[in-house]
Amino acid sequence: MPRPEVMARIPVDDEYFLFRSCVASNKYPGMESSTKEVFERIGVGLRESDDQTCCAGFITFTSVAEVTATMPAVARNLSIPDQAGLNTVTMCNGCYTFLTEFGHFLQHNPPIMGKVNEMLSMVGREYTGESQVLHMIDVLPKLQDRIAEQIVRPLKGIRFATHYGCHYLYGFKKDAIDDPFTPTVVEDLIEVAGGTPVDYPEARTCCGSGLTQVVIHKEDLSLPHMKAKFDSLKEADVDAIVVVCPYCLTILDRGQAKMVDRGIAQHEVPVLYITQLLGLAMGMDPVKLGLGANVTSAKKFLDKLERLDRSRATAQAARGGVPRSPQSPASSPSGETTGDGGEAANA
Amino acid sequence: MSKVETKRLRRELYPELRELTFGFVSDLEKCMQCGKCVGACPAAAVTAYNSRRMIHDIKSGNLQDVIESEELWSCFFCSTCYASCPKDINFPFTVAMLRYASLYAGYGAEYVKKIIPYAQDYYARGLTVLQPEKNPLVIARRKANSGTSGEMGDIREKMGMPRERTVSDEALAEVQFISDVSGMTKLMKRMLDRRDAAPKTRERLENVDTVKTREGKFAGFPEEQENA
Repeated sequence: MPRPEVMARIPVDDEYFLFRSCVASNKYPGMESSTKEVFERIGVGLRESDDQTCCAGFITFTSVAEVTATMPAVARNLSIPDQAGLNTVTMCNGCYTFLTEFGHFLQHNPPIMGKVNEMLSMVGREYTGESQVLHMIDVLPKLQDRIAEQIVRPLKGIRFATHYGCHYLYGFKKDAIDDPFTPTVVEDLIEVAGGTPVDYPEARTCCGSGLTQVVIHKEDLSLPHMKAKFDSLKEADVDAIVVVCPYCLTILDRGQAKMVDRGIAQHEVPVLYITQLLGLAMGMDPVKLGLGANVTSAKKFLDKLERLDRSRATAQAARGGVPRSPQSPASSPSGETTGDGGEAANA
Repeated sequence: MSKVETKRLRRELYPELRELTFGFVSDLEKCMQCGKCVGACPAAAVTAYNSRRMIHDIKSGNLQDVIESEELWSCFFCSTCYASCPKDINFPFTVAMLRYASLYAGYGAEYVKKIIPYAQDYYARGLTVLQPEKNPLVIARRKANSGTSGEMGDIREKMGMPRERTVSDEALAEVQFISDVSGMTKLMKRMLDRRDAAPKTRERLENVDTVKTREGKFAGFPEEQENA
């Protein structure tokens, strides 16, 4: 259950500053395109800036650069929404962590803030800390009603597992929108989209990489860990995993291919970002949602969605009504037709 | 900003900021050795990593052992330990700080060297993760799934997005200036110099006197001579 006191703190604005993520832009662009489209449909503006760089947290927490380098880099990025007078929405748990954590630290340590602003003044910038840093799943629950109005293709009978990612819930056990161990915000959004949230034993388990394990230990540590997660997912019989972090998306998506490649396990569960799921339910074209950038194929999942559309159209036609069709239907060819998409969930 | 000016700022601003920021974490004295962190830890499930033991070691004055250990490099940074800690000790931050201590004492370069290309990308392009994909498995799968060549530029184009995300020249210049002034560029260079030596953990690279403290807090790091 979202915490009421945190919910109350989250501002609902007409426009936010969209803090782009390196991974989303360069590996999974569907996260960015779906986020922009979803916000456009619900009538909330997003502003971007080419002056925004990487949040710079990654390099610090992998010990390549010191904290001293990250503080001014974070403050520099936040000076952009500060100046624009907008609150910031991040798509990534990592960006959220570093912007929030370092921003908080700066604001509570005036001598450091002074030093950092001294550095920034050399490049004509100033960090004030006025722009509130929000996570995508801070904002979406507040806009839930507007989202519900835009759902034209309810994902009825489709089973979704959730993966929240550590750096949002665990890192912010007191300030996050939900309890770290029993969160439901994403499940609520899945229900808004008409889908069925499914619980599984390893739901709270880290994707297996944290910041560096895949790179520094060559997956020796991550893959066994990830296998446990996917084995537990298989038993839960899900159609897709919904994540709120691009790094988790990368690791879970690519990890499955790596496990298949090494003969460790055979899993094929598509991984979607929360706005990709909402985009689908709003009738967006899967090509525009960027599911093709995923390494683990989403074909089975999309086929199931298409069968669902057809059965819905048939049912509507039988009742004599005009089917509420999505703007652009799924483009992939489908398999056999089943009577009812809802029934097909357990097939 | 001239080179001389950048150098002067680095000399003046960086040491002061550095001293201040390394007081970033601690709180280890609050630990009551309950072990909840270890039970929740994904790294502990697959390796010998043990946060409770590490905290105990540090509190009893064996910081050196922790700094030299391979264990230090197993943390996933998932913060599950922090989430389950009844005393709210943010141990992942401590691990990050300990890793710096380890690096300054000459250990751990073999882990960090693999991250250096990401930092170089950040310095050169302003982004840590860039488009080019090395893994042929990923390209082949993306090619099949997206109906394109599998290259990111083509995938983005098919989705109706610009072929690449751009960072403005001004932003890049600012990031590079900040990196130079805040000590990042220098640290990166040190890492690069060490990368080729490819030392193992527990193998001393330089003859540095490492800090030992019984307070559970860092007294500081062996300072680089350049800043003195």
